[in-house]
Amino acid sequence: MSLLNISARPSRLTCWILSWVLFATGISLYFYTAQRRHKENPDDRVVPTLGQLAAGIYQASMHPDGDEEQQPDNAAQSAIQRFRNGMLWKDTVASSRRFLYGLALLFPAVLLGLHMGIFPYFGVFFLRFILFFDKIIALSVLPILFIAFGIDELSKVMLIVIGVTPTIILDTFNLSKSVPPEQLVKGFTLGASDFDVAYRVVLKQIWPRVLNSIRLNLKPLMLFLFAGEMIASTDGLAYRIALLRRHMGMNIIIPYVLWVALLLFLVDLTMRLLNKKLHPWFREA
Amino acid sequence: MVPGSLTEEGAVALLDSKTRDEPLMRLEDIHVSYPVAGGPPKKVLNGIDLTFERGQFVSVVGRTGCGKSTLLRLVLGAEMPTEGRVIVGGREVLRPDRDRGYVPQKYSLFPDKTVLGNITFGLEVEEFSLLTSLTPRFYRRRREFRAEALRQLRHMGLQDCDAGKYPDQLSGGMQQRVAIAQALVMKPKVLLMDEAFSALDPGTRAAMQRLIREVWKETKTTVLFVTHNIDEAVRLGTRVIVLAKECATGAEGSRVALDVAVPDADERLSKARFAEEIAGVVRRVEEATGHLRGEEEDIVP
Repeated sequence: MSLLNISARPSRLTCWILSWVLFATGISLYFYTAQRRHKENPDDRVVPTLGQLAAGIYQASMHPDGDEEQQPDNAAQSAIQRFRNGMLWKDTVASSRRFLYGLALLFPAVLLGLHMGIFPYFGVFFLRFILFFDKIIALSVLPILFIAFGIDELSKVMLIVIGVTPTIILDTFNLSKSVPPEQLVKGFTLGASDFDVAYRVVLKQIWPRVLNSIRLNLKPLMLFLFAGEMIASTDGLAYRIALLRRHMGMNIIIPYVLWVALLLFLVDLTMRLLNKKLHPWFREA
Repeated sequence: MVPGSLTEEGAVALLDSKTRDEPLMRLEDIHVSYPVAGGPPKKVLNGIDLTFERGQFVSVVGRTGCGKSTLLRLVLGAEMPTEGRVIVGGREVLRPDRDRGYVPQKYSLFPDKTVLGNITFGLEVEEFSLLTSLTPRFYRRRREFRAEALRQLRHMGLQDCDAGKYPDQLSGGMQQRVAIAQALVMKPKVLLMDEAFSALDPGTRAAMQRLIREVWKETKTTVLFVTHNIDEAVRLGTRVIVLAKECATGAEGSRVALDVAVPDADERLSKARFAEEIAGVVRRVEEATGHLRGEEEDIVP
């Protein structure tokens, strides 16, 4: 059996084992390193042990932000109440809100891309500008955004707009263009108007691919959101990570990083499943 | 009202009677050229004049690149002639519309819609806009559209259980059956078929040829059928048009090399006489295509 055999067909069990090997190796290596460092220095905070991580997770999820006033009856609150007052939940809500704003702004971008692809005058009017806009490094205009829009929510949302929407517009534009012309002509011969063809023929056909494009751009979207939060924010997951960096709070930073990854994975999974469920005709190339 | 002037209904009736007497379609001195980078434009069609009567089944045959699909696209309104004009039902064709049904070789169905959705699409968009398709009336009417679509589906030899399938779950022949149903449900003035059966295997192709001939006989819809297969053109058409370049004059662009009526099997001819007449038409069509410049043979007899 050769590992470099193109026609190899690993069994289901082999696939399952192999797919977890790197996770197991990474986790083992981490705890081995943590153990060794703690033997040398019991106060080490760079690579926290399992106990330190557990304490960090408990602190992050059950204790409010240190800056906030401690509620006197904290101990009397139920676990759910304490969790909802905890900094992990509050940070998650704050970041999710901004994330959803960003996501909502992608839908006008999809419509713009669609119109550019379908209506030639729309296309020529916007295309050159969007192509130029797409080349602007969003993070390079961050200071301008803070000056123009202040350090509130708007500047962070604008960062997402500049960073992600041109890609979505251009993706949708290209997808609209890829619909065979026979389909457009067919639509007209069946009595459809221009808008019917745009929305009931083209958009419906490209929609699963557009959703895929949005799904693949979730990470850049989060990246720009995190950049904004790290620089100018008073709450949010990235704000907390940046804050704890100053205190070497690795026992909280690591769970936060994993939590963000898990959230993103869940959003991605939900979108994939929804796409499959809503568009049973769609087969990815 | 001024004495002797027409009422609105009267004007419409007069227009109707006039257009009824007129031929259904006219192609008037059609020239088509395509721009070529760094060179003179390439002429594809050179002075085509054709008239089509209602209820004809017209096959257009010719070599690859002779402009037969261009001719069909002109009638469809998907392309504009460089010179000349196309008139259908008394109106100049400026863009595709519901008067002309279309069955292309590929991409004939909307992949995101089921068979039923594909057939009802035209009925739905014709009556309901994007906004009104959200009203309860739309859902009530949709039931009627579906019943009509199912009737068409059965007429095309498909079963009710196929109604919920998506195009990629159907064979090529079934897809084309649905495409024909989709076009016919709109009751178009002309059905335009562009190499519609070319991608099918011989058995399915023969079955589809029988089907379209039966449908044409029943509905008497005018059909313009583009093919590169002489046998198919003669078998289906009541009239065969051969497009070809003139090698004698050396002029660029194709012209009508032959325009011939095909005898109908129903005509009172003996079997032997009918076979003889058909063979004569095939021979003439082959000769017309043979008068072409020495290009590689792509006409299938």
